[in-house]
Order: sequence, then structure tokens, then C-alpha cells
Amino acid sequence: MIEIGRLCVKLAGRDAGKKALIIDILDDKFVLIDGETRRRRCNILHLEPLTQVVKIKKNSSHEEVAEALKEIGVEARVTKPKPKTQKPRTKRKTPEQLREQKQEKKKLLGLFKPKAKKAEAKQETTLEEKAGLGVKETKPAGKKESKPKKPAAKKEK
Amino acid sequence: MPARRLRSRSLRKVFRKVPGGDTHLHYKKQKPQPAKCGNCGTSLKGVPREFPFRMRKMPKTFKRPERPYGGVLCSKCMRMKILEKSRQ
Repeated sequence: MIEIGRLCVKLAGRDAGKKALIIDILDDKFVLIDGETRRRRCNILHLEPLTQVVKIKKNSSHEEVAEALKEIGVEARVTKPKPKTQKPRTKRKTPEQLREQKQEKKKLLGLFKPKAKKAEAKQETTLEEKAGLGVKETKPAGKKESKPKKPAAKKEK
Repeated sequence: MPARRLRSRSLRKVFRKVPGGDTHLHYKKQKPQPAKCGNCGTSLKGVPREFPFRMRKMPKTFKRPERPYGGVLCSKCMRMKILEKSRQ
């Protein structure tokens, strides 16, 4: 049953249910298959041989297998070749560009400086306010001084 | 005596060793039942038994074997099905 050119169905794995031709017999257990499945080594127990047999050479290429399978009415697996992607190479900056970069950075620094000054000014104002509060605080302190006087008066009563 | 709401069997009990050295009883949510084969009913391998929110986060290839009828039939039943188809 197991011979070169025999059409089989694969039973196990991700290629299960797909048809393939036996290309080579490697061992008493293993064979090489190709067709709808990927071209790979396969255990005989994972193959179900069908009635059809195709005349192909031992270790024939995928294209030859595809042609042989077309006559039976089975389409072989087609892999799309991956398009080569070119990585964008980083170019070194010219000295002129570097100078421009520095100038831009300096501009940004100039933008940030006045804000810092404002914050300082605010702090000054807050300090002044605090000082004002401190003045106010003194007044309640005076009240406190007045308060103990009253209980003292009560005590007198 | 546990709280009244914890006395149902919808929650599973877990004994946890706490840093003080005691064992405390924690109540945890039960996991869903393992996935079953649609034909013979055996539990499927390669399908994780996780909460739905955790399954949603996982990629598709983590949740089922990469073969026809993966995550639906067990490997034996899948082979039988393909054999039947090929012999027709």
C-alpha cells in the first residue's frame, strides 16, 4: 500500500484532512510527503492511503508534484513568497542641522524661563499675604487676651 | 460561623497560610467546567479552563489546538471523522 506516488489523506496535526503524495520512503515507519500539505516527513500511522497512484520520480520537487496532482484534480499548496522589506536606515545629521537643533532648544529654554519668574513673584505675594495674615492673627491674640479678663471678672463676682 | 452569604456551595473554599502562621479560610469563585468533545464527551486537551474574562485576553492560538475541529472534537473523534470522509 505504501509506495512512491500513492495518494494519501493526512489524519493528524494541522494538515489533517489534506491530500498528499508519497515522495520517498525513509524508514519502515516514516515517509516523505508533499501536496496540499507542507513538504514533510510523516508517520505511516498518520496517513490513510487512497486508491489512486501517480507516476512520479523519487524525491521529486514540489512543482513536479503539483503538476502530477493537477491531473487528478487536486491543487497543491502554494506559498506566497514574502516581499523583502527594507528597513529605514537612520541618517547622520549634518553639522548645519545640529546647529539648528541647538538653536531650537535654546528658544525652548527661553520660553520656560519667564514662567519660573512668575512663580517666584507669586511666592513673594503669598509671603506678603502671609505677613498680612500674621498681622490679623495678632488681633485675635489680643481678643484672647481680652477673653481671660471676663472669666476673671466672673471669678470676681 | 461564616457569614450567611458564604454558606452556599457556589463558592469554593481555599485554605491560605497567612504571614502570622495561621491558616485562614478564603472563599473564591469557582472555575467553569472544562471543555468537552462534541462527539464522545471527554474533556479536551489544549483548551484552558479559565474565566471568560481571562479567555478573552488570550490569543486565539492559546485557546485551542491548531488542527481541523480543534477545540470542538478530541483528536480521536477528528481522525474518525476524516477517515469516514476519505472512504466515501
